[in-house]
Amino acid sequence: MLVIKVSEFIKNVKRDLNDPQLRENFRGAMDYLMDKRQAAFTDVDEWATLKEQCKRIKQRCLLKLPHLLEQLEENLQRNGIEVHWAETTEQANEIIAKLIAKEHGKSVVKGKSMVSEEVALNDHLEQQGVECLETDMGEYIVQLAKEHPSHIIMPAIHQNKSQIGKLFVQHIDGFDYSSDVDTLIKAGRNVLRDKFCQADVGVTGVNFAVAETGTLCLVENEGNGRMCSTVPDLHIAITGIEKVIEKLDDVPPLLSLLTRSATGQAISTYFNMITHPRQPGEKDGPKAVHLVLLDNGRSQAFADEELRQTLQCIRCGACMNHCPVYTRIGGHAYGTVYPGPIGKIATPHMLGLEATNELPSASSLCGACEEVCPVGIPIPKLLLRLRKESVKPRADMPQTVKGQGGGRKPVEALIWQLWALVHKSPWLYRWSTKLLTRLSWLMPKNLGPWTTARTAPKPAAKTLHELIGENEKQGKRK
Amino acid sequence: MTNQSARNNILAKLKSQVAGADYDKLPKETGFEYPKLSREQQLEQFVGHLESNHAQVVKTSKAQIAEVVARELKSLGIDRLLYGKSGQYSEEIQALKGSVTLQEFDFVVESQAKQNLFDNTPAAITGAHSAIAATGTIVLWPTVEEPRTLSLVPPVHFVIVDAEQLYANFALLMNEQQWHNKMPTNVVLISGPSKTADIQQTLAYGAHGPEKLVVLLLVG
Repeated sequence: MLVIKVSEFIKNVKRDLNDPQLRENFRGAMDYLMDKRQAAFTDVDEWATLKEQCKRIKQRCLLKLPHLLEQLEENLQRNGIEVHWAETTEQANEIIAKLIAKEHGKSVVKGKSMVSEEVALNDHLEQQGVECLETDMGEYIVQLAKEHPSHIIMPAIHQNKSQIGKLFVQHIDGFDYSSDVDTLIKAGRNVLRDKFCQADVGVTGVNFAVAETGTLCLVENEGNGRMCSTVPDLHIAITGIEKVIEKLDDVPPLLSLLTRSATGQAISTYFNMITHPRQPGEKDGPKAVHLVLLDNGRSQAFADEELRQTLQCIRCGACMNHCPVYTRIGGHAYGTVYPGPIGKIATPHMLGLEATNELPSASSLCGACEEVCPVGIPIPKLLLRLRKESVKPRADMPQTVKGQGGGRKPVEALIWQLWALVHKSPWLYRWSTKLLTRLSWLMPKNLGPWTTARTAPKPAAKTLHELIGENEKQGKRK
Repeated sequence: MTNQSARNNILAKLKSQVAGADYDKLPKETGFEYPKLSREQQLEQFVGHLESNHAQVVKTSKAQIAEVVARELKSLGIDRLLYGKSGQYSEEIQALKGSVTLQEFDFVVESQAKQNLFDNTPAAITGAHSAIAATGTIVLWPTVEEPRTLSLVPPVHFVIVDAEQLYANFALLMNEQQWHNKMPTNVVLISGPSKTADIQQTLAYGAHGPEKLVVLLLVG
């Protein structure tokens, strides 16, 4: 992932918190999405039942994951769809670049795919001289602005319509400035329509891969997913290994919760189910379809029963929409492809805790994310777990998360060791707290992050033990 | 081309974690029991969802297809219609001859024919495989006669839905028709005209697919 600069998280947060336009754009968008979602779940019993059902579906599919992947591969191959496996982002890029080169492909149209962002596919293909155009309206805008998505469902949420109007003036020939949304969408449509017609290759993500039938499902509203998977001669789909589900019966409840959680829609405008490349006699559709299955740290999360729950995610984005931190700092501050609560628990497995140790701490643990999660991922609990993993001694076994101890600071670790020591001995405890009260004048005014928004605490003149002792003496005298 | 070592590594890692898993002890996955609706209620639900998603629904009969389509095309100022020659309703559609220019989808989508489909095809008409009441969804199961791009590329899509083919929900539809036994090349569920809210959460229609969806619901 070339874009990652997680190490600049704190700096980014300061920058974006102080951008009133950005704050307004996110506040407006999150309020809109929260209202939409709430209106889609009016029956509390239905929500609770579906949520429990979908959680169990995903947990079952994860428990059977290796077998379902094999079944998926077998059925896809029988259907004429080729399957490729990638352990790393580099392998995924290499596989896709080779598939395109084999067909002498020069232009790619892309449907919205967060996994393709995860592997930074556009950058890789452009280095090989292949034009790679995002066709989801939000992604198209973000690509024109040379930015990255700030939200996994609504990528251009950080920009408002007048900012987009200005962007189009710069990049679309003959476009006169307008902030009218219909005009803007029409302009985008016209540019991209030609591209769909001419592209050699279509790249999309996958929402569900059904093992039972070897079917790739794609959820979308715009029709660009259909275009990318129908018009070019070559269709390449890329997805994470956790997207496989066992059977067609699993689709309806998951689909219902996905679209309602994401945008409050009972169903998306289009739901594509792709099972074969073009068959003899058919007049359209890609002549070849390929699926790239990506690991990139997912098998690491899988190896720990608690952290495995991260993989239940169906990428609806509800946790972001309801997160007080995300709403305020926006999606770019995280510096990761997946922002918000789900990003904070998923990214450490992809990039390691060295690079991401600040992310699990950037949470108030308010629990809104868990409450709205359609598959019941206990996000706050997983954040706490990752905090622990990030401050463990680096050499401690087992090494559950790569980059373990990445957030461990020697001074902090020493303080906690002393703390433990002091609290184990009553004598040492009384002696040291007494010393603290007597030396309270030594307390520095500046205590790092603590004093950026608070005054430094000042120990009382006497310890509680002392005060109680005095009280008791006085009582006896009476 | 399949990366064998990546495949084996991934599968080995996953398998070592769930080696002793007991699949018989998985918790029951109870679904929600939705209230049963009458035929009329289902139709109302179907039409209500489609209309709130900006589709135009015209209740009509098989005999009146040509008349309705001709009227709607005229109001849109369109004089051409693309259709599949031996499709489900091709006879009814052919009755439009004279009032509009009928173009047959008798080409493979490549080179000039493809360009023409994108540039000079204002409207198309297809049948539907079935429909779903709960979400106001039309199920297309494209065929050799009515290919995938027929319902995708032209900006106006007329779709003929037989009310007899309306199912209460998606799960029921797949189960009753035993989809798991055989899936076609492509199935697409359509629940309105193409749309996007990607610019400042403002809904706009006609993002990349058809900007207008006219549903001819055959009730008689």
